Amino acid sequence: MTGDTQVRIGGLSMDFSLSQEQRMFRETVYRYGRDEIAPLCEEADLKGEFSFEIWRKLASFGILGLPFPEEFGGSAANILTCCLAGEALAHAGVDGGSLLAWGAHTYLCAHNIYAFGNEDQKRKYVPKLASGEWIGCMGLTEPGSGSDAASISTTAVKKGDRYILNGSKTFITNAPVADVFVVFANINKAMKHEGITAFIIEKDTPGLTTGKPFHKMGCKCSSTSEVFLADCEVPEENILGGEGKGWFIALSGVEWDRCTLLSPMLGAALNNLDSCARYANERQQFKRPIRSFQAIQHRIADMKVFVEAIRLAVYRVASAKDNGQMLNPLQAAVSKVYAGDRGFELASEAVQIFGGYGFMHEYPVERNFRDSKRAAIGGGTSDIMRMIVSRIMMM
Amino acid sequence: MDYQLSPLEIKMQQDLAAFCRAEIAPRAKMLDSSSRPEACKYMKENLKLLSQGGCLEAGHIGDVIDLVAVYLASEEIAKACPASFLSARASTFLCAGALRLFGTPDQKQRYIPELMKAERVGAFAYSEDQAGSDMAAITTVAHKDGKTWRLDGEKNIVVNAPIADVFLVLAYSEKDADAQSGMSIFVCDKGAKGLKIEEPVETMGLRGVPMAGISMNDCVATGILGGTPGKGYEQATRILTMGKVGIAALCVGIGNACTEISVKHSKERKAFGKPIGLYQDVGFRLADMFTINDLGRMLALRAAWAINSGEQEADIMAACAKLFASEAVTKIANWGMQIFAGHGYVAGSDIERLYRDAKFGEICEGTSELQRSLIASHELDKFLPR
Repeated sequence: MTGDTQVRIGGLSMDFSLSQEQRMFRETVYRYGRDEIAPLCEEADLKGEFSFEIWRKLASFGILGLPFPEEFGGSAANILTCCLAGEALAHAGVDGGSLLAWGAHTYLCAHNIYAFGNEDQKRKYVPKLASGEWIGCMGLTEPGSGSDAASISTTAVKKGDRYILNGSKTFITNAPVADVFVVFANINKAMKHEGITAFIIEKDTPGLTTGKPFHKMGCKCSSTSEVFLADCEVPEENILGGEGKGWFIALSGVEWDRCTLLSPMLGAALNNLDSCARYANERQQFKRPIRSFQAIQHRIADMKVFVEAIRLAVYRVASAKDNGQMLNPLQAAVSKVYAGDRGFELASEAVQIFGGYGFMHEYPVERNFRDSKRAAIGGGTSDIMRMIVSRIMMM
Repeated sequence: MDYQLSPLEIKMQQDLAAFCRAEIAPRAKMLDSSSRPEACKYMKENLKLLSQGGCLEAGHIGDVIDLVAVYLASEEIAKACPASFLSARASTFLCAGALRLFGTPDQKQRYIPELMKAERVGAFAYSEDQAGSDMAAITTVAHKDGKTWRLDGEKNIVVNAPIADVFLVLAYSEKDADAQSGMSIFVCDKGAKGLKIEEPVETMGLRGVPMAGISMNDCVATGILGGTPGKGYEQATRILTMGKVGIAALCVGIGNACTEISVKHSKERKAFGKPIGLYQDVGFRLADMFTINDLGRMLALRAAWAINSGEQEADIMAACAKLFASEAVTKIANWGMQIFAGHGYVAGSDIERLYRDAKFGEICEGTSELQRSLIASHELDKFLPR
């Protein structure tokens, strides 16, 4: 279908196209990911450790600083372009763990400092995070506080010109390797979420320790652990955004979570689609390529439909954010729940197409399957997404 | 890139929605429960109403069809009365749209204005008893008799046939040629000699739509669409590919209607002291209904936009939209029925009618199986071994 006699009705309607520049950027990042990073991922995933080699590769290509202005060591990319980077890298075969590490570092830590920090904080932290010299993390979740994030029990008590933090955080992506921690604590529990305050804490601050990295089901190249705060003294100039501004900052993370942090899920689905389509052409059974079986074909079709749908959902959130619109909670939830639930189902179908090979670690479909479960859990579970949508509908 | 509708589009959609809610929706139940002759009468009235409300002309401009605008209008019509949308679409899009894109100046002038005003009704007759998804398998043939084309064959389910004044009929104009070069679309007027409209058929859903078979026995055609024979396959493929966006609109419209009444019921109906929508089993289903309908709409708009801009993968986008939205709406209607429970299962309830209407999308104009086949081939062929 070429649409030769059709013309675009000028200026009337929505625009789904990427600019030439964006397409070239995506292609360049894809090639870099495929040639320079993807070959390292299988072994790194098997070790189940954060890979500094992969990290340096991401850093040297400018991926870690994408959204920041040039004076802060970034390249002033808009949010859609950041999504294109995540998509292209995962499409190229970069593992979900390394890209989760990128997401937590660049958006949840560095960008929070960039967006809410004062000039000194920005100058001190953002350039080193953008270059990858320092690694950042964000600590919100606690052993007793996950989806119900407003219920955190970590406390911060003011003492002179310092705050004394006590409590513990868990499932903190990048914590075992982090140099900079953005940590949420409550300065006055009676104020509930209005007491939540964000602090920037540096690695060697007394009273701050991290636990042993967890052994995770997927996203293994991101390193995850608990963070303990025992009478941890934080200077008052390290408050991020002011007392009681933490809840707002935490919520702003949601905007990133529903686009840039989901973009690798779109990329991984593209990676699966490519590898399944290639395999179905090559693999012969009963003297014919398995692509000739409808059960295989129909899974391929479902994967393609998913890719197109989730691309729209993720780009829509990104493009709204680029246009300065407030996050639409319905659109954000659609993006998250669909990536999480349907994405996991189809990652499983990809394994199925590969049969026994798909069950083996050497095939990226196996890793993509494990990594894909993250989207239904991290940053608000699928159940929470449904709760948000149903509450709005029942209003 | 901009994923939001323009203010102009939003305004148009809101205006059409308000009109359809006031004028079309209240007649939906009546159409559904009508006898066949009554359905024909009421549907003709509905088409007139839709035309007067400006619903039919949206997106149809000169020789061009702006599918994004067509989609937006379609979704609102379908939400108000799915049957009316299907009937209107057969007349103004499949018939008048094909004339708009492929007709000779004379054909356009002769038919399009009256079809758009619903003063006449159009139909597009292509599928046959043994040729649905496999369009090349049709057996209707045409032969030339002097300057006149004469048609022989049968078309089994033709939307609008009982009320149509003009038919576009797909046939082999060269009996032994392949489909790509041997087919033509013929224009046939209602009173043509040898054209017989069969008894209207009863359907499970979309019962307001007058449907019947037609048979042609040495039937005299008025002309060939566009004037040149041999272009029928390309023309039919083209209009049916664009048509997938319309079927997606039908499905999203029905999905929207189901979701809206289900939310209302979930607020009003109480069990064990609280609205049932506050129970997660119900509330989460509402969320799922919203989610897949929203994604169906996005895919449909994406496909409409792709076709408007002549994107290379536009036909695949259209297939994705039709496949997704049609499978979404059967789930949505099913969950809606579950939420209404006994209140929905009784004949005459809105969800019961929508539940029956919803199934059509997965079946019509290329089944889900066929869409999957098409999409899969496209993806698999990218990796053909050298």
